[in-house]
Amino acid sequence: MDARHLPDRFDPWPRELRPAVPIEGYANTFTHLPFQPPLRRAPTRTEVTGPLGLDRKLPCGDSNLAMPAPGRPALGQLIHIAGRILDEDGRPVRGAVVELWQANAAGRYFHPHDQRDAPLDPNFIGTGRVRSDEAGRYGFFTIRPGAYPVPNPPTWWRPPHVHFSVLGPSTLSRLVTQMYFPGDPLNPLDRILMSVPDAAARERLVARLVPPAEVGLGWLGYTHDIVLRGRAATPPLP
Amino acid sequence: MSTAAPQARPNVPLPPSSSQTIGPFFPQSFFRPGDNDLTRISAEAAPSTRGERITLRGRVTREGGVPCVNAVLEAWQADAGGRFRHPADPEWHLADPDFLGWGRAWTDAEGRYEFHTLLPGGYAAGAARRAPHVNLAIMASGLMQTLTTTLFFPDFPAENAADPVLALVPEVLRPLLVADPDGMAEGLRAFRFDLRLRAARGEETPFFEE
Ligand SMILES: [Fe+3]
Repeated sequence: MDARHLPDRFDPWPRELRPAVPIEGYANTFTHLPFQPPLRRAPTRTEVTGPLGLDRKLPCGDSNLAMPAPGRPALGQLIHIAGRILDEDGRPVRGAVVELWQANAAGRYFHPHDQRDAPLDPNFIGTGRVRSDEAGRYGFFTIRPGAYPVPNPPTWWRPPHVHFSVLGPSTLSRLVTQMYFPGDPLNPLDRILMSVPDAAARERLVARLVPPAEVGLGWLGYTHDIVLRGRAATPPLP
Repeated sequence: MSTAAPQARPNVPLPPSSSQTIGPFFPQSFFRPGDNDLTRISAEAAPSTRGERITLRGRVTREGGVPCVNAVLEAWQADAGGRFRHPADPEWHLADPDFLGWGRAWTDAEGRYEFHTLLPGGYAAGAARRAPHVNLAIMASGLMQTLTTTLFFPDFPAENAADPVLALVPEVLRPLLVADPDGMAEGLRAFRFDLRLRAARGEETPFFEE
């Protein structure tokens, strides 16, 4: 294992990058959020470390959500999402476990708790898990998810989005986030995306379209980089 | 929104991606039997036996004591010798190679979770000494940022009293971070640790951030 690439400095989350809570209209942000603010602690060894080689515990390689079996494509716009997992120094994070889940083209999750009256697609489960490569790259073939309404009043629509869960080299680099699609008119109306105070930080949650030449004609291509917490305490020589 | 992308150049600081909620639909297919067993590095691997096997279990509740359903919990801890198999531990080459130290569980309809692990060891941290402990990360619908806390064991009152992290917690609240003996589970000692995400002062679980 090469320790030179592992982050060992973790600065506090800048406030403007953190979602402002609670969120009006999202009841769970009221009922789940502790009354007391978290106690700030300097990272100890337990926080700075984390599981390495986690792909043995969480098998990876499930990268094609759009074609679960030959000849059975999922319904919807076929898309390819690719990007890099980076740390705050811009260094690739290798061997990160990247989990992705999303609704189908009708905005319905293949999940027992999603009871909405929208059709399920038997060819779309909507989950995948891969390991980032030596350059920190990951990629998924999937479909563009549909929007779906948040049921409790005041109702609003979640824009098409993809959920990401990333397990990096430290428990402090653990990240759960969401990716949005460029130009969607529902983006500026989404209370979850808009809860991030900083406009530039919100833009970093929005994927970029890539030219067809880079992905091939079969797939509408998006690129999306994800930056995990963590820097090198001693910057490497340029 | 415009399409600014992070500049992926080494040594130029990038702001971390903002956290978002896990939502109510974290896929249950992501969980396999044994994911909540910290003693195995994979589902197929033999469990580590270097230490006392224990069960950790409890409930996660939200405001009003209502069960928190489909919450995801991730545990991380040192091995029985107090070491992590990670280069940030100066003795990582001595760490138990068969012990993963990480596990993931999710809560059922009553908000219950369970982990299988080994009683962790403590370790020296500068002039201080960390008591045996387990870090827990909690993700749930409505939590826009992962909650993090630390569980301690009732076996080690002297070590707990000297732990620098537990010392950050007001004294009257420290018992909330010490698991309770919970009988036996399949011949192993069990400990109970409830997480009250939002509750009255004196009942709410203390959380940390770094
Ligand atoms: Fe969603």
